[in-house]
Amino acid sequence: MDLFLQLAATGLVVGSLYALCALGWGLIYGTTLHFHVAHGAIFTLAAYFAYAGQKLLGLPLAVAVIGAIAAAAACGLLIDLFIYQPLERRGAIRTTLFIASLGLLNVVENLVAIVFKPDPLRMDVGWLSNAVQIGPVFLTWLHLVSVATALAGYLGLMAFLKYSLWGRAIRAVSSSPEMARTVGIDLRRVHLLTYAVGSAISAPAGILVAMDVGADPYRGTTFVLLASVAVIMGGIGSIPGALLGALFLAMLENLGVWKIASEWQSTISFGVFLVFIVVRPRGFFGRKIHSAEI
Amino acid sequence: MRTILSVLFTSILAAGANPAFAQGNPIKIGAILPLTGSGASYGVWMKGGAEMAAEEINAGGGIAGRKLEVIYEDHAADASKAVNAMRRLVEVEKVPFSLTSYSAPTLAVQPIAVQNKVVLMNGGGQSDNLANKEYLYNNIPVVSNEVGVIAEWLAKEKKLTTAVMIVANDEAGRNAAKTFQEKYGAAGGKVLADEQVALDGTDFRAQLAKLKARGGSLLYISSYGRNVAIIADQARELGITIPMAGTSWILVPEVMKSKGAEGILTTRLPFDGDSAFAKKFKDKYKTDAGFFAVQYYNATQIFAKAAAEAMKKSGGALSGEGVKNAIESVRTFDTISGKLVFQANHGAVMDIEVGTLKGGKVEVEKIIKASP
Repeated sequence: MDLFLQLAATGLVVGSLYALCALGWGLIYGTTLHFHVAHGAIFTLAAYFAYAGQKLLGLPLAVAVIGAIAAAAACGLLIDLFIYQPLERRGAIRTTLFIASLGLLNVVENLVAIVFKPDPLRMDVGWLSNAVQIGPVFLTWLHLVSVATALAGYLGLMAFLKYSLWGRAIRAVSSSPEMARTVGIDLRRVHLLTYAVGSAISAPAGILVAMDVGADPYRGTTFVLLASVAVIMGGIGSIPGALLGALFLAMLENLGVWKIASEWQSTISFGVFLVFIVVRPRGFFGRKIHSAEI
Repeated sequence: MRTILSVLFTSILAAGANPAFAQGNPIKIGAILPLTGSGASYGVWMKGGAEMAAEEINAGGGIAGRKLEVIYEDHAADASKAVNAMRRLVEVEKVPFSLTSYSAPTLAVQPIAVQNKVVLMNGGGQSDNLANKEYLYNNIPVVSNEVGVIAEWLAKEKKLTTAVMIVANDEAGRNAAKTFQEKYGAAGGKVLADEQVALDGTDFRAQLAKLKARGGSLLYISSYGRNVAIIADQARELGITIPMAGTSWILVPEVMKSKGAEGILTTRLPFDGDSAFAKKFKDKYKTDAGFFAVQYYNATQIFAKAAAEAMKKSGGALSGEGVKNAIESVRTFDTISGKLVFQANHGAVMDIEVGTLKGGKVEVEKIIKASP
């Protein structure tokens, strides 16, 4: 039982990080229909911005983190402004955008590896790395911060989409771009906003992982892959679905270890994903996906 | 353009005219090392050691008047990268000799070495499978010697008779784990469970939680490099309070500095941190020297001696085969860590120390003398 609780708690922590990544990726995919794998680059850049802020510029941790989130949001916006929008203006199909995105991810990861070396860089997190015991479960303060951040990210995003004017514009574009355009919404500006918001929500995931186990140039790829799996599992266009999909995936990975040898961790998650996409392609809450959307 | 060319020519002529290296081209040798990845700390030592040896050899007039040049390649703990590096060394650089490191990369390049008659000297990898290989010499004992010592010490003297193991999922990690299980069993211990982890992984909590639930009086870490620091930290984070143990592999700066690894029980191969070599290394590279720096310094010096011997025999020509024959006939080499005798299995034996990691240093409790 103790093992079950420990694995479930670890699953919740990992799930929170997946969730932050999936919320941002899902928001962008649901609104723009760009299969934005370069979101992994945002994840990686956020981690290195925070590292550079703390270690190279000597900023206090909190300032470095906030700066890194803002910089990551700006990078997301710039990717749309300078890469996707020009391509779309020239009539590029979604596959072209996807290939561009993949190329960008690769270039950014390797540039980061050249500049910062491929080895993980550890940050100083002080007391955040101290262990906390809750009954039979051991976590660190940083893990609790991760869970709280994911919760805040989720609630904040829901409130933003529901109550703010810009949030409602994003929802309008997400449900029907044509209709949104007809009522006078500027699609390009909404896309830019979506990229900024989506990147800002996922940036903390990259930073929190870097604070926990070090910044790594290639981790973004894994996370964006898992985020896309979580979003498709949860249902495209559904924010609660993205959260649930991410938590489900992480729980599966961690609780799977209970009975199955741990080297099968990723086999479990991708195996279940395959079952999902064949048996229930609309995910938990979403609309059905068509091959044309990827 | 013309000026550039003339400058180039002058500099080439000037290099050729260096009186210390009057005869012929430099002797090129390879060094396939973990320069990046989880074992990059070993790479700093290995490369530094080889570099210092080459500088000293060249300052002393080179090998039979020829300059020694070491070409460094990175394998990042990946056997396929090592194979690419080896092919480049053999086909482009035409080396007669290469330093290698790590078990899987060394095993992967050994067939190429045999084909092309290139001598390999491994100063770091310790898998038992590295013994008795043609064209491959190890100036380090295989891991079963060290694992045997620690397994017996843990079971018989420390009375820690039940263990759980975390194992790096590669040749070195698995081989050491298998040996540990045998030797620990023979000494009266029992391994209750083991979990394999990726060498370049960064999150081992699920595996550690599973091992914690199995109980046991000892966590044996059959892994190496930076990986071990993360395992130790995360184990302590998860409330694993039982002692942890490993072999000299774990003694890299990341582990010695880590909070979690304090008190870890380990073997150590003899290394004097206050030696003249260690001081010179620290001055040159601004970081403390380690055991593997001495290993690759020694391996490079051994090559220089063997190559000089081979060239004397052949009247000046240098081939891998000649170097191999010279190593076989000389057998005993003087090194800065004492006399090194290559055994019939192409390996070396050394004293093995056991002790506890405290405040970034190993407090040695016992020294087990080498018995060839």
